[in-house]
Amino acid sequence: MMNKLRLKGDIFIPLTVIFLACFGIVAVYSASGYVAESDYGNPFYYAIKQGAGVAVGILAMIFTANYDYRNYLGKTKWMYIFGVILLALCFLPFLSVEVYGAKRWINLGFFTLQSSEVAKFCYIFFLAEYFSADTSRARSFKGVIIPLLTGILVCVLIILEPNMSITVCVGLVMLAMLFLAGMKIKHFVLVLLPCVALIPVLIILEPYRLKRLSAFLNPWENPKGEGYQLLQSLYGLGSGGLFGVGLFNSRQKYRFLPFSESDFILSVIGEETGFFGTAVLFGIMVFLIMKGVRTAISSSDFFGYMLSMGITTMYAVQVFVNALVVTGSIPPTGLPLPLISAGNTSIIVFMAAFGVVYNISKVSKTASLDRSLKPFKVKFPFKKGQKPDLTSDLTSDGNGNNNSALT
Amino acid sequence: MAVTLLFLIVIARLFYVEVIASDSLQQKAIDQWTRELPVKAKRGKILSADGKVLAANAPSYAVFVRTRSVKNVDLVAETLSRLFGVDEEDLKQKINKKSTSEITVKRQATRTDILKLSEYDLDGVYYSTDNFRVYPYGDLLCSVLGYTSVDGRGQSGLEKVYDKYLGGIDGEILYEADLVGTDLKGKTPTYTQGVDGLDVVLTVDSEIQLITESALKKVIDEYSPKRASAVVINPQNGKVLAMANLPSYDLNAVPRDDIQTLNKLSRNALVVDSYEPGSTFKIVTALADIEEFLQKNPKAKSLDYVFSSSRYRLVAGGKIKCWSTHANGKHQNQTLSDALNNSCNPCFTDIALSLGKETYYKYIKNLNFGKVTGIDFSGEATGMVLPESAVTEGDLARIAFGQSIAVTPIQLAAAACAAVNGGYYYKPTLVSEIKTSDGKTVEIINNAYSKKAVSSEASKILASYLERVVSEGSGKQCYIEGYKVGGKTGTAQKFEDGKLSQGKYVMSFMGFFPSDNPRYLCLVTVDEPVGGTYGSTVAAPVAGEIFKGIINAKSIEKFE
Repeated sequence: MMNKLRLKGDIFIPLTVIFLACFGIVAVYSASGYVAESDYGNPFYYAIKQGAGVAVGILAMIFTANYDYRNYLGKTKWMYIFGVILLALCFLPFLSVEVYGAKRWINLGFFTLQSSEVAKFCYIFFLAEYFSADTSRARSFKGVIIPLLTGILVCVLIILEPNMSITVCVGLVMLAMLFLAGMKIKHFVLVLLPCVALIPVLIILEPYRLKRLSAFLNPWENPKGEGYQLLQSLYGLGSGGLFGVGLFNSRQKYRFLPFSESDFILSVIGEETGFFGTAVLFGIMVFLIMKGVRTAISSSDFFGYMLSMGITTMYAVQVFVNALVVTGSIPPTGLPLPLISAGNTSIIVFMAAFGVVYNISKVSKTASLDRSLKPFKVKFPFKKGQKPDLTSDLTSDGNGNNNSALT
Repeated sequence: MAVTLLFLIVIARLFYVEVIASDSLQQKAIDQWTRELPVKAKRGKILSADGKVLAANAPSYAVFVRTRSVKNVDLVAETLSRLFGVDEEDLKQKINKKSTSEITVKRQATRTDILKLSEYDLDGVYYSTDNFRVYPYGDLLCSVLGYTSVDGRGQSGLEKVYDKYLGGIDGEILYEADLVGTDLKGKTPTYTQGVDGLDVVLTVDSEIQLITESALKKVIDEYSPKRASAVVINPQNGKVLAMANLPSYDLNAVPRDDIQTLNKLSRNALVVDSYEPGSTFKIVTALADIEEFLQKNPKAKSLDYVFSSSRYRLVAGGKIKCWSTHANGKHQNQTLSDALNNSCNPCFTDIALSLGKETYYKYIKNLNFGKVTGIDFSGEATGMVLPESAVTEGDLARIAFGQSIAVTPIQLAAAACAAVNGGYYYKPTLVSEIKTSDGKTVEIINNAYSKKAVSSEASKILASYLERVVSEGSGKQCYIEGYKVGGKTGTAQKFEDGKLSQGKYVMSFMGFFPSDNPRYLCLVTVDEPVGGTYGSTVAAPVAGEIFKGIINAKSIEKFE
């Protein structure tokens, strides 16, 4: 029943991903070289680790790029369960790795796995199938209860680690997918309100978050304490100027900027390459986001649409949240810059995920070439002009925007 | 689209942080990127008026350890403990703990030690030049010179007052370092040259200072007072030629561990302490009378007026009496000059009451009592003068012979200078010149008289009366054959807890010579001597000894 992947997909997706990941190795080397040399006696310590991650990531991407994404159908609930188990394993004393008081990793002996990085994609897969299996689910409140409960379970497990940033990302992606699946606006608001209300509760629950919030409002108040990280990040960016101090010449990486190779790598990139460098980098990242969105829109089925949208949204949310944190635009929270920051689980999972997106782009092109192939009954909750030529299958009239289309 | 909007927001924000706010952020960042090692500026010398070095520097070094840069902790700890006698285990612990990024191992290390140290070329060990103050004369002028802190800043005395000249501007070596102070490899440190401190030339003459201190030592040996002090001033310009408070201490071995002893010994009582002057203050009353008489004030006693010979005066219901019994023909039929000779209290009471407080207070103010003299020394006391409006007849009757008033010795000496030098009041000074280390003058401290206190005539008459006090009156112990010496004794009971304390006296003597053109004026105070009862027997000989010493040292010819 499945059509063959004859044509190439959007080759810019894997090329951009590999380019960013390789640039990430250079950036990680530059940001961590000094600390790595004095702590491990090898300036390439983090760079080699990251390089290994990228290598595995490329292999994973080659696999996912060639593995027909439709084969995931039927397996996604197991993927979800796998993700939840991974999250739960973080709390097992003999497996968990605790860093800075947070239990976010599982020790696999040769590799420490960050569960939430895997689990968040498992949840995206699960949602994509759930909604594509029966598109009417999104329109009733009953239909969104399972996505909400499964999403909340993932969020609760991640917040218990604790890891507020990833929790917020998963929450945002969940809301985005509910919205994209065509949830009714009043239901959407009904879900959105408690989520928004939860933010102050989460902040009050952990005193350090309140301190971070006040440090964000006035970092100069306590430049050696809570405001330190943000100020150091701004010092780095500010020292960059228009064109930067030159690659590898960052001064902030000499232990002044904590997490310079991971969550705050953008600050080091900004210091070394200046506004020009960061703007170009951002352009490339947005280009990748656009490619992901395009793939979703032109995908041949709703599963591909939801999957591509979910992965791209996850990437976009992390990119923007990270950039806003590093530039001091929103309160600081620890979130890696995907595809760039040091962190093996993250790089492998994101590369594999973009392999899936590439695979979706292949199928859609094939499908659009041969319109007789209609593998799924799908419903596209967006404007007429934007969707592929599959409207004949839609049960709705296909008019109006993606909200009114389903009412 | 949302992505485009967010993209623009991030780009705008990046532009703001990286380009617009760049300068201010970078400035703050640069501050944290470097660590500086101070290069101590060489502290200026303190020289006496006759060119003797009173305070100088020995070449010295400070040794530091940067905990993060140490590679071989054992070797560093072992070597430093061997070279500088620091505790090896303690140092090892400190280096390993890394709680401070920099440990000062040794200050004032010698050059030989540093040469030895540099042979080892230890990682994380640094040294820089330091100041090690030496005082070639030990305890000479100690309460005036003061001392410096371990890090070479003036802490007391002239070392503190003139610190801004002496101290210079420290240079520094800037090292590029990481957050915890580890130096970065391949970066050359930047060296900023310091500016050496300036030399300070005192008005104090080392010979006269030595003479003064040895004279005071004798009175300490003989009477074991709490303290004996003396100041010698040139009445022609207010320059302090000697200033001494004994007992003293060795400036090269400041008793820093015993704060109480240090405070006591380093106290320049001549400037910072007030006392009840007693009879030496009678020169003010005498001067007031002479001046008012010359100005034909009918309330003034004429110079040949004969005072009542009674021992008592009844003032405002109280009895004022003379220290002398007036028996056996003493203190009979005295003129003003006789009254000064005998230091007869009632005569001065008569003058003050006759002039009235308004006229009398004019002289207290003209001679600057109740206010600091402005001498270049910190912590100067103002003394205590009852406000004119609050002074009763009884107070005025006592102020006339130096009670119910408190002065600092430097106030009294400066006033006495004006009283005998023709009426010119000078602010006393200790420093005459600021020079560079190679002898170029930077600043000369000029000392023009600040005001004319009394007429030259009145001053001349008073000086001649005081000469007579020494040649035939109570100041005979200061008489020097062939020289015109003037003076006035003083004995005052000490006030303790607001009461006159029995048996505790401050003996004093103010002397000057040559009396017709005074060049040297000396005020000696002896606090609580054991055995002597009068300023004439305890303090006057000290002044006599000082003057004889000066005559010898400066080869001053006899008058006749």
